[in-house]
Parts: sequence; C-alpha cells; structure tokens
Amino acid sequence: MNCEEAKLDLGEYLSHSLTEARELEFAEHIATCEACRGETERLGTLWKGLALLPGMMPAPGDNVRERFYESLAAYRHGMASSRPTLKERFAAFWPAVAFAMLVVGVGIGYMARPAAPVANGTEVAQLRGEVSSMRQMVALSLMQQQSAGERLRGVSWAYRAAPQDTEVLSALLETVNNDGSVNVRMAAVDALHTFGSSPVTRTAIVQSIKKQTSPLVEIALIDLLVDLKASEMATELRKLEADASLEAGVRERARWAIGRLVQ
Amino acid sequence: MNVNATDNVLMAEVGAGQVQKLAVLFERHHRGLFRYFVSLNRNREASEDLVQDVFFRMLRYRASYDPKQSFTAWMYQIARNASVDQAQKRRGEVIGIDEYTDKRADTAAGPEESAALGQDLTLLRQALDRLPPDKRELLVLSRFEGIRHEELARILDCEVGTVKVRVYRAMRALEQAYMGLLGEKTA
Repeated sequence: MNCEEAKLDLGEYLSHSLTEARELEFAEHIATCEACRGETERLGTLWKGLALLPGMMPAPGDNVRERFYESLAAYRHGMASSRPTLKERFAAFWPAVAFAMLVVGVGIGYMARPAAPVANGTEVAQLRGEVSSMRQMVALSLMQQQSAGERLRGVSWAYRAAPQDTEVLSALLETVNNDGSVNVRMAAVDALHTFGSSPVTRTAIVQSIKKQTSPLVEIALIDLLVDLKASEMATELRKLEADASLEAGVRERARWAIGRLVQ
Repeated sequence: MNVNATDNVLMAEVGAGQVQKLAVLFERHHRGLFRYFVSLNRNREASEDLVQDVFFRMLRYRASYDPKQSFTAWMYQIARNASVDQAQKRRGEVIGIDEYTDKRADTAAGPEESAALGQDLTLLRQALDRLPPDKRELLVLSRFEGIRHEELARILDCEVGTVKVRVYRAMRALEQAYMGLLGEKTA
C-alpha cells in the first residue's frame, strides 16, 4: 500500500469497515510511514470526537411524534386526500405570511439605519494597499519553503490575497502543478477558489487536471470547477470523461460535474 | 407488530399495505433524520417539518420501494430530495445559523469527554458547521449515522471510490477548520 491508497482507505479504517487483509495492509503502511501515521492519529482523534457530537445536538420536539401519528392515522383512514381543514389551509399560507412579514421588517430596518461614517478615502486606500502587499509577501515567501507545513501556511495566507493578485495566483498554480506533497497541492486547490472569477484561473484549473498524477487532486480540481459554476468548461470535462488514461473515479467525477454544470 | 424485523422487511410490509408498520421505522429513524437535517440547515423548525415530509413521502412512494435495496439508502435519498425541495421553497428566507444550539442537549457530551479526547468538542462542532454543506453531509451520514461507503455511494449517486476521496477530503477540511478555530481561540 502506498500513501495515496492509505488516504483513500483512511475513512474505512477509522470506521473499522476495511476487510481484514486491507486493514492489515493499512496497519503495515502506517507502521513504516511517519506522515500517514501522523495523519491517521490526528484525523482519528477528530473521528472519535465526531461520534460524541450527536449528544450535543438537540432532539426533535415531542410535536414531531404527535404530528407523525396524526398523519399516519389520517392516512390509514383514507383522510389524506380529503379537503384540508381551516387550520391546514392556514398552515399552507403561513410561510408566505412569514416571508411577507420578513420583507416588511427588513424594509423598515433599512430605512431606519444610521448613516455610515465618512472615511478619508485616500488613507483607507493607502492602508489597504499596504496590507495587501504584506499578505502577498507572506504568502509567496511561505509557499517557497522546504517544509510542507510552512508551504501549507503559505497557501492559507493566499486566502487573504486580493482576487486580482496575479502573483499569488501564479504561485498557487505552481504549487498545484508541482508541489511534492499531495496535501499541499490539495490545500492550494481549495485556495484557488478566491481567484475563481477569472477566466485565466478556470482555464489553468483544466490544464492542471491533465498534469496531475494524483486522483485526489484531480477530483478536487473538478469539484472546484463545479463550485465555480464554470459551465464553459463542460467541453473540457467531456474530454476528461472520455480519457481512458484517467482513473475510473476521476472520469465518473467528471461526468457528475458535467451533469451539475449543464442543467 | 414484529418490532425486531429488519428495516427492509418492515418497509416491504408497509409497501404491501401494512402502513401502520411505518411507526416502527419512524421510532427507529426520526432522530437520525432530524440530526441529519439540522446539521445541514441549522434550523430546528425546518428540520422537524422535513422529518414529517420524509415519512409522508415514504407512504406516498411506498410501492416503489425495492426490498432488495438498502432501506437506509432509500430513506436518505428521499431525505436529500425533501431537503432540496424545501431549500428551493424557502430560498430568500433568513435562517439563523445558531438556531439549533440547545443548552439542554449540551450536557450530553461535557468537558470530561472533551478532555479524554484531548480536544474541545464545542470547537469541533463549530468546525463541522464551518464546512461546506456537501462535506458536512458526508461526515454526518458516515459518522453520526454510521452509514458505510457502499450505501453512501448509493445515496450520493456516485462510485464507492469517489466516496472514499470525498470522505478523506471532508476529514481534512474538518481538521483545517478545527485548527483554524483553535488558533483563533489561543490567539
């Protein structure tokens, strides 16, 4: 088992649903791979914590049960198709009434809002420019570090860059295409979302899919195109769907994406 | 009424006309469905309506249920459709994101459990809330409801391989959100 396969099996490993042979392979892999062992331990702790969250969530109210049994009794007695009662008719109109009240409330709130303070436009623009340059510098320098952890930090700084910052965009694309760590590449894919309104980014995403060797990153890039509603990329996605050199899961995801984008 | 029958058998019997047996399925699943909806829409009232809607749709489409297929997958497919339909109907309405916070329920998993795991469960819940809905849905179904990858693939209408990738990515996103919140807390 290699690292890529271990990542794909991680969810089933944590939920103890791998076959015995596969679980053994997974255990053998993490015994020798420090990075995967660390990731399994970290995500495993979160996985255990997730099991406790349902206890922190509210239970449905008693009225849910009452309403269900009322509906079931009505259905059994053939009353489901009968004329609605006055109460049911009011219930049908209630969402519309509530919405109308909301619109009126928002309108009143808007009209009664206090006037915004007037800022010195030049000062604000100057400060904004300085902060933007600083964020760009931090992001670019961290993304060139030796350590994958530092590069991940650099990618997280990219979120703070302006959407039109072409230098940070170039650095992110370089990371997506060439970084040695799958984790860093995937984080960079997520960060590309900030720059998604540009046609350059969208074209670069498609080109990057073809350069990838990891199905995880390929699928993340396809998902990004869907998130960006890049329907103009449907033709390119069709080519991916037909590309036999890609893994079945990637082609299937491309087919899914086409369905989402061309509706 | 045989309350030990499997979900598939019970639903097949409902499909054959014994609609009163839907009550057993309701008792088994309405809490899980409520958790699923409230995790997605963060709105108690809307989630309670959706639970009703799912069981009503089960009655309506009971003849279409194939007992050879997983009841859980069928039920959550119905739940997803109901959720999409309601979201379209309620588009434009303002829904408070913290509406499902419930102090009474907060006592169920307290600081002892958090300490035992070495993590802050309140932060973990907030991190889960910060995930995009598709990732949150995947973790809720796989972890809260214990649905296996094969069934998830049926519910989400994709390959098992895709589910594996998506679960991994959802866990990574959860970790990033959690670490981000932890950083904010300690800053």
